[in-house]
Amino acid sequence: MASKLIASTLRKTLTKAAKTAGVRSLSNATAAAVSTAYEPQEDQNGITLKGVRIAGRPLYLDMQATTPVDPRVLDAMLPFYLSRYGNPHSRTHLFGWESEVAVETARSQIADLIGASPKEIIFTSGATESNNVSIKGVMHFYKDKKRHVITTQTEHKCVLDSCRHLQQEGFEITYLPVGADGIVNLDELRAAIRPDTGLISVMAVNNEIGVIQPMEEIGQICKEFKIPFHTDAAQALGKIPVDVEKWNVSLMSLSGHKIYGPKGVGALYMRRRPRIRVEPLINGGGQERGIRSGTLPTPLIVGFGSACEIAKKEMDYDHKRITALHDRLLNGIKEKLDGVVVNGSMERRYIGNLNLSFAYVEGESLLMGLKEVAVSSGSACTSASLEPSYVLRALGVDEDMAHTSIRFGIGRFTTEAEVDRAIELTVKQVEKLREMSPLYEMVKEGIDIKQIQWAQH
Amino acid sequence: MVSPGQAAPIRPEILGLYRALLRAAREFRDYNVREYTKRRAIDGFRENQNLTDPESISSAYAEGKNQLAIAKRQAVVYSLYAPKVKSIMELENPADLIN
Repeated sequence: MASKLIASTLRKTLTKAAKTAGVRSLSNATAAAVSTAYEPQEDQNGITLKGVRIAGRPLYLDMQATTPVDPRVLDAMLPFYLSRYGNPHSRTHLFGWESEVAVETARSQIADLIGASPKEIIFTSGATESNNVSIKGVMHFYKDKKRHVITTQTEHKCVLDSCRHLQQEGFEITYLPVGADGIVNLDELRAAIRPDTGLISVMAVNNEIGVIQPMEEIGQICKEFKIPFHTDAAQALGKIPVDVEKWNVSLMSLSGHKIYGPKGVGALYMRRRPRIRVEPLINGGGQERGIRSGTLPTPLIVGFGSACEIAKKEMDYDHKRITALHDRLLNGIKEKLDGVVVNGSMERRYIGNLNLSFAYVEGESLLMGLKEVAVSSGSACTSASLEPSYVLRALGVDEDMAHTSIRFGIGRFTTEAEVDRAIELTVKQVEKLREMSPLYEMVKEGIDIKQIQWAQH
Repeated sequence: MVSPGQAAPIRPEILGLYRALLRAAREFRDYNVREYTKRRAIDGFRENQNLTDPESISSAYAEGKNQLAIAKRQAVVYSLYAPKVKSIMELENPADLIN
């Protein structure tokens, strides 16, 4: 079956390739054949991709994974893909100068949003790189005296993985547990500090459950013990007020594509007073003061800067609207379904992230059934695995509830009609799955599932 | 930027800009962008309807003009790369499509 499919696609592509021989050279035909097998087939009646057929493009409620590019951002970027293609590091001609001006404008726009100086902004490829250079770079730089890092169990994968990497090099890491609400305990943080602690890394807004950590309080503790404080603010930037002075952070990771900017660009905030130093991950031409060599991607940086400026201007407007949509979604679902639990603190959370668990429903079946709604069970990075989220497990969520979590991400471009449709489809799907579930039937009959002794096998 | 000597725009000019923005919003092929542009224009004008100071009226007007130019350009860009399939929010009879 599969070979037949590949053969037929291959034949199709080869004829297509022959027709467009002027565009695609023959040597690319094989590569094209491989890629078209996975390309979506679009026609007037819908899209077919990976064996799933959908009548229209799904409504998008996965704003924590990524956001659409704002048309105003694209408008700022496009000139730098056309005539203004200069290398911002070229010092000898107009092309270089105009790109340099654009990059420096973007730098101030980003700095302005977080209350920093433009000199403290280093451009990177994204928050993952910023997190890597913050954690590994700081510890490598101060490795003679500092051997210990404190972080939390609910950090993003790239922070945890950087820490694992340090562990293999002989550094020691403390992974702080979080409470049932997802918030880190400040007394435990204080107790974990050692004389050789070189870095404390706590994310501002969690990507999976949206809880906001007590940044100011953690910043105070770091100040008291004179320990550099790093935060991953990719999910916080442009959504909640971010102020590097109030939070007293030494390093902060930022990302472009979470705030309606382009993918592939991010920034690292590095405090100048008191100065924090890092060992670079990428060596080369010495751009970005040697901390991140490589030619700056001018169009992406212009887009990131523009996204920050818009985010600052629109923060109140967006927040008001997203709050209303969040309430509409939560109330709409809770009105029609029982056994719905919000994961993470209700008080300290970013309102555009609604992580819900539906009792007695299997999460993957629910996601598969909701193909008209683009949502995810948690982080996009781990959505390929069937494992329940490590973030929810750190919260102490029961295995069965952790398996049924769905993250609804609301953003600037979400409409009321989309929220209503999402409610309708989710309720329908959950009811359908519960109807088939023997567990739900038993619960309705009054049997406590937790008391059941399942036979071992 | 509006120079300080310039007179504030008069009512028909402002209403003209409002209508032009709504018209530009309709041109977007993307459902979400279309709805957002419309909504943002309406809310923006509502926010500013009680401005009295000529200078702030002028600067709000200039900002609106700027947004209009962006919307007109981007509506063209979006139409160039519009997907063949519409959003499920735009389909005629969505009830039939839900299984």
